[in-house]
Amino acid sequence: MTSRRYIDGSEVRITPNDGIFVDVEFYGGLKIEMLEPKRLFPISGLSKYITLLDSDGNEAAIIRSVDSLLPDSKKTILRCLEEYYMIPKISRLISRTEKFRIWLWTVETDRGIHTFEIINHITSIKTLYDGRILIKDASDNRYEIPDIYALDRRSQKLIMPDI
Amino acid sequence: MGFENLLANVPIPKEIQDAVLKINTSVDSPLFAVVGDLSLSGNYGDSALFVYNDRMIAVDESYEGGGDVILFDDIADIKVKRMYGNAVLKVEDSHGARRDIIRFTYSVADVCDSAALFIEKVKAGEDAEETLEIVRSTYKNLRSFCPKCGRKLASPDADCLNCEGKSKIINKFAKYIKPQVGTLLGCLFLSIFTTVMALIPPYITGYMVDKVLPNRDAQKLLFVILILFSVYILQFTVSGIRAYFLRLAGDKIIIDLKSDIFAKAQYLPMRFYDKTSTGSVINRINGDTAVLQSFMLRISQEAVVQAFTLVGVICIMLLMDWRLTLLSLIPVPIVIFCGRYFGKKIAPMYRRLWRRGTSLYTILADTVPGIRVIKAFTSEKRTISRFQRYSDDWLKEDKIAAKTASAFPSIITFLITCGSLIIWFIGGNWVITGSGGATTGLLVSFISYAAMFYAPVNFFANLSDSYQSALASAEKILDIINAEPENDFGKGNKPERIKGKIEFCNVNFSFDRSKKTLEDINISIDPGDVVGIVGTTGAGKSTLVNLLLRYYDDYEGEILVDGINIKEIDSEFYRDNIGYVQQEPMMFRDTIFNNIAYSNPDAHVEQVLNAADIANAHGFISRLPDSYDTMLGERGTGLSGGERQRLSIARAVLKNPSILVFDEATAAVDSETEHLIQESIDRLIRGRTTLMIAHRLSTLRRANKIIVVDKGRVVEFGTPDELLAMKGKYHKLIQIQSMSDKAREIKEAENLEISIG
Repeated sequence: MTSRRYIDGSEVRITPNDGIFVDVEFYGGLKIEMLEPKRLFPISGLSKYITLLDSDGNEAAIIRSVDSLLPDSKKTILRCLEEYYMIPKISRLISRTEKFRIWLWTVETDRGIHTFEIINHITSIKTLYDGRILIKDASDNRYEIPDIYALDRRSQKLIMPDI
Repeated sequence: MGFENLLANVPIPKEIQDAVLKINTSVDSPLFAVVGDLSLSGNYGDSALFVYNDRMIAVDESYEGGGDVILFDDIADIKVKRMYGNAVLKVEDSHGARRDIIRFTYSVADVCDSAALFIEKVKAGEDAEETLEIVRSTYKNLRSFCPKCGRKLASPDADCLNCEGKSKIINKFAKYIKPQVGTLLGCLFLSIFTTVMALIPPYITGYMVDKVLPNRDAQKLLFVILILFSVYILQFTVSGIRAYFLRLAGDKIIIDLKSDIFAKAQYLPMRFYDKTSTGSVINRINGDTAVLQSFMLRISQEAVVQAFTLVGVICIMLLMDWRLTLLSLIPVPIVIFCGRYFGKKIAPMYRRLWRRGTSLYTILADTVPGIRVIKAFTSEKRTISRFQRYSDDWLKEDKIAAKTASAFPSIITFLITCGSLIIWFIGGNWVITGSGGATTGLLVSFISYAAMFYAPVNFFANLSDSYQSALASAEKILDIINAEPENDFGKGNKPERIKGKIEFCNVNFSFDRSKKTLEDINISIDPGDVVGIVGTTGAGKSTLVNLLLRYYDDYEGEILVDGINIKEIDSEFYRDNIGYVQQEPMMFRDTIFNNIAYSNPDAHVEQVLNAADIANAHGFISRLPDSYDTMLGERGTGLSGGERQRLSIARAVLKNPSILVFDEATAAVDSETEHLIQESIDRLIRGRTTLMIAHRLSTLRRANKIIVVDKGRVVEFGTPDELLAMKGKYHKLIQIQSMSDKAREIKEAENLEISIG
């Protein structure tokens, strides 16, 4: 087992490379290019423990907390994560119809209006302890309701039976 | 350029058609199109990719002019980069510059994969028309939409659940009642009889108050009491008989329903179990069927009886006094309104309660079989607290539902009592003042009838509660009953014998769309070959054999056995011809004999003994006190891992299959046991095509071909000598394995010395 390299903060400078990739330069002089930042806890810890993977999927380092990075590095990482993780946030439920166990949801999200199917509402909708609701559609796309009580009353009424 | 017949994942939107017509200046038509659902900036919107023989046209709002033409000659590399909930088609040009062409959600990822593969292959010089077949097969898989409502079907030929008539659904449950119709009709007749009997006493009571008591006629009183006694005897005797037959019919209904769900569960595809917890399935078979049974009996019996009572009582009441009857109807609209309101309010609560209940079942299903692990890690307290947390969640929901569910009957009963009070007040005044022609006897018997009248009203008002609860359960049961069973396209198609030639042609597979598990698999195995499948953990080795076993059918490409697509062979026959020995063999709570004979229940005793002998299991079995009659605990407790493995091999021997699959059969045993297992494997594999997922050199030495799987692709395939000469991944694995084998041997020798010493 090789020792894991953790990044705590200002010891690195992270600069954007191509799309969702970044270059990481340690102040000791080491520079690693084309690393892909990925969340180790994409559901429970959005800004903590971000792994940096090389093109073979090997881990180069782990950022303990994005908040501890230098402002530019933090911005770069957050932009990459934003690009990589597409979890539209549902702000309104426009309609929710169901016929024989197939649910058709039309929702308003931060990325526009979208319609999707849910085949099994028991396994596809999960309420987390922090109050967020995660939804997975029939094509394995993800959606999130950050706070059900922030939705309008009609949307709440439509979702309540499923959670 | 026509878009009507163009191969596309969804109809091409008008704006996209206009955009591509503006960009495309040549006359040739595209071969196929991919309509995306995200813009490059990541917002929902239309985008598209049109693929030609020599180029592609990407359409997206972010391109200047609405789109871009990319020539195949300018592409050095093309691939789909899957991210989280979305993906991009990435192109690298000959100068090493990379860019995203279109962006899409996972709904479109499969077709984009095949587009990238098409371009890759055409660029490599493969025939475009032949390569297009791969794309067509992906689209065929994708095009399993209902022509009526447009929703995706579970498989290309599946019925659309969305369009299935409601009557079909009702029939699904009615068929369980049908066999008991005779008994139920008998019970219904008895119920009507008891109801008629129940209508008599109030009338006689009224007669007694008006005619017998005021006249102080003791003889008449005795006569009336005897009549009442006879009525009660008849009523309660018949009622007891009815209850017995009703219970019997109910039990038969529930057994049929449970058996059907259980049988259906056996034929559900692995994908269903990948997504559904064991606890949830058990809850449906046990809990939900009971709820549904009780509701079916309520509807088929009580509802009819109550309706009959309602009509009968109203008729008698009208005959007695129509004015008092109208007064007693006052609370009815309020009761009905409350019933509807309550139904709407309680339904989501029951659903939520069901979800919490299922979570509890899931913990039970997880922890009870895993009690050894819990004890080993001393996590009893953690497990209890987890159970407690889920129980608290359930209790919280139950409290909310209980408030509504308890308040409603009280409100209804209160309203009904108010109805009786009105009758008492007005009718009582009539009796006191002598107006209205009402007598004390009439008032007493009317009040009794009114109480009988409110009972069915109360019943129907409360029916919505059990209806909602039953509906929640029916939904869960339908989830299993309506789930698509494993596909068996080749039902009844049984080749004379399976020789064992296996071919994977352009096979692509993913468990979910977030990641390709197998990609572009092309291998050919001859009959009698012993093939070792090697690769790191998670490389896709087990998935490869899972596809061969037809645990998953929704892959792209073809898997052929003896030149026949395995989907065209009767699945029962096909699996009968494959022996599968798992890393952790599953034993049932039964005798050792029955566990071996599981693969062939009709096998002769000596065949079982012989199979055990070949598997090197006979020795240890015969030394057990109960020998072949030894009862194994759940999952084979009472035997060591190596012993269970040998029983599993004996099972495979008894099956006498043409193809054998070993999934790391010796991974979890010591060298000595491994030697015994290897011996039995050697005897078993003679003359059969054998696939062995293996890490150990000792296993691989028997292989005449090796498949090296890495990140879902076959990276090396050939004889062991060829692969060693290549000095690639296999060579590296062998080197690592040799070192670890040596280390293991030394350690085992040391342990032996210590234990001897």
